Amino acid sequence: MQTKPNTIYRALDRKAAALTEFTMRQYRTKVSTWVVLGVGLVAISLVMLIYIDVMATGFESVDNDGDSFDYDNDGYPNGQELKLGTDPYMADSNPGLLDPPVEPEPASNYIDEDGFDITLEGTSNLQSTGFDDDGDCYNYDGTSSRKDANNNNIECDVLLVQNRYTGEWEVVYDLNVDEDPDDAAYAAEATHMAFVLGIGKMGFVLLLGLFLPLFLATGLIRDEMSAGTMHFMLAKPIARTEVFLYRILGYLGIVWPYFIVLGVIFATISGFMGPSEGLFRFQDLGVWLAIVFATMMASFVYGMLFCTMGVMWRYGIVLAIPFAAWELGMCLVSMGAPDAAILRFSVIGWALMIVDSAAVMVWPNMDMFLLQGTTFGDGSTFGDDFSIIESSADALDFFYSKPGTGSSGLASSVIATVVLLIQGAFLWFIGGAIFKGKEIE
Amino acid sequence: MMPDFDQDGKGQTKQWQPDLTAPAVLLEGVSKSYGRIFALSNITMALNGGVTGVLGMNGAGKSTMFKLLMGKLKPSQGKIRLFGTDPWKNPAPYARVGFVPEHEKMYDWMTAHQFVSTFARLNGLTRAEAGIEADRVLNFVGLADVAHKKLGQYSKGMRQRAKIAHALVNDPDLIILDEPLQGCDPLARTTIMNVIRELGRMGRTVLVSSHILQEIERITEQIIILHNGRLLALGNLHAIREKLDQIPHRITIETDDAKALAKDVIDMDEVQGISFPDQKNLTIQTHNLGAIHAQLPKVIVDHAHKVHSIDNPDDDLASILGYLTNGGGV
Repeated sequence: MQTKPNTIYRALDRKAAALTEFTMRQYRTKVSTWVVLGVGLVAISLVMLIYIDVMATGFESVDNDGDSFDYDNDGYPNGQELKLGTDPYMADSNPGLLDPPVEPEPASNYIDEDGFDITLEGTSNLQSTGFDDDGDCYNYDGTSSRKDANNNNIECDVLLVQNRYTGEWEVVYDLNVDEDPDDAAYAAEATHMAFVLGIGKMGFVLLLGLFLPLFLATGLIRDEMSAGTMHFMLAKPIARTEVFLYRILGYLGIVWPYFIVLGVIFATISGFMGPSEGLFRFQDLGVWLAIVFATMMASFVYGMLFCTMGVMWRYGIVLAIPFAAWELGMCLVSMGAPDAAILRFSVIGWALMIVDSAAVMVWPNMDMFLLQGTTFGDGSTFGDDFSIIESSADALDFFYSKPGTGSSGLASSVIATVVLLIQGAFLWFIGGAIFKGKEIE
Repeated sequence: MMPDFDQDGKGQTKQWQPDLTAPAVLLEGVSKSYGRIFALSNITMALNGGVTGVLGMNGAGKSTMFKLLMGKLKPSQGKIRLFGTDPWKNPAPYARVGFVPEHEKMYDWMTAHQFVSTFARLNGLTRAEAGIEADRVLNFVGLADVAHKKLGQYSKGMRQRAKIAHALVNDPDLIILDEPLQGCDPLARTTIMNVIRELGRMGRTVLVSSHILQEIERITEQIIILHNGRLLALGNLHAIREKLDQIPHRITIETDDAKALAKDVIDMDEVQGISFPDQKNLTIQTHNLGAIHAQLPKVIVDHAHKVHSIDNPDDDLASILGYLTNGGGV
């Protein structure tokens, strides 16, 4: 066996390994640890079950523009008559009377027949896009002003207008353009992404990242002090700041693998259940990676904080609960106003920025996708105000935010990670200093 | 420098260099107060080598003094040094110190071997070295056979011995034991006393506290007496006892006829006074307990007295403290 040089660093390693291992074993022997981890698992698994049920049931496509109906009962759906130029409201004007006669198409051909064709090209803040797939705009027998409702001198298009002050895009449609998109596909895509972001932010980062440390880290030092067993640790040549750090490492040794395993399970299930051209939806893995990483970072900072609170006061959890409420509020603020300055004074604001950054990088066309859904005026079922496109887009819009720094996705994730590391290190410094000055009875 | 994940390098326990001229324990004018209440008041002493018994009633300041020495408490006044280093500011001296706390709570889910070896690693020992050292000290305290049993299944005496083993694993020069005999059965007491005496013979500085005089007497002659946070006496137990002999001691005898027995002992030279708490009890006052105890059996047998018990009410700590503080029995 090769003998390694005997340095002070080697001794520190040994102490770190010993105390970290000890802390992990101590956690494993406590029933409370398994209860907390179990409750966390059950809570987010319930959300997962709802997602599985929704995705397995699927979404029903509807005829948004009503052209699958045959109003004049001549056997031809309105859409076919509009496309071929016959009058859909008069039975004696139908494609069967054309020369040569045209056979009626099934009504289902006129459901989801005019999908979104919105693409953003170049940097112009006024762009013409969209295409009338089913011809019900081009063949509309009416005034040309109705074919060019957006007044850009181009008939049957969609106009994208960017607000020069806010940078947000607005959509102005011509009549009957992109008015019957594939509801089921859009809703499945939007619901899936909303679920990934929702469970990631609310389930992983907030619920697990915040509440696990609240119950597991607050007593890391405090419980040893009140039980008197801290005397065993502090009777050794080891600084109290080291004890603080190595106890935290032991706590992370329990919760981090838990997050990783849960992340792998959830990513796998949503990868198979999510809409995909292949068997597995690989493109979301980057977001899942960010979700797990953000949860790990949040649990690191919260662990330091709650452990410090436990050292400060025997009933440290009383201090921790108002803080947890503050973080819950900041989590909600981050959904609606990710660039709000107040988020800089939270932990969760930075952790969620890591998820947002990954979402921006992994789903680069999200702006247009959301624009289609949230501004699709004719998206409701014909004769019904409810639109699964709008509702799923609203859900996605709630959970999706752009990183509040205004920087690119990569830069934002790096900034957020560095800030969280600094927060953790600062809290270690504070917690260690308080612990160092604490008298132990 | 990569972390030493293999943990196969040679360990180290004593990298910190102590002041070789300094005593193991030094307290200079040390006080510890909580508001207006003094738990320890102006203690000055230096200890180096041998076993020292720290005697005092509950609340006398024994544990406070040990916690000050172990850097758990900060002195309100005065200077504390372990091998020349302030333990509140620097934990390095603990590389040469073993501490047995009085708290009963332990990690019941660990085996004694795991408990000792895990905390041995906090001295900088490798995993392998810690295992070997744990075997050694568990054998030393007589727990080798049950080393792999969980602490939760241990009796009180076995738990105390496991705590002592944990304190000895770094081969310390100073061992501090806070009430190590409390709650132990007679066998465990004997074993622990033997261990402490052996450590003293090995040249270690041992500080052991108790509130029972007889326990300390069996371990050492060097004692410190604390009372209400003050250092009442420091020195050889026999010297203190001799000093105490200048003050009358009492012997209480329970017999069927106290007055008849009184007639037979009144002529003994060492008897200075006799009193009758009640008809069946006789109290003798003397400066020489040993002489009275030597003659008493013959007198009882020769005159066929029926004696139920003989008691020395002044031979406990409370009485000694009473004499030292007030000049009379407590």
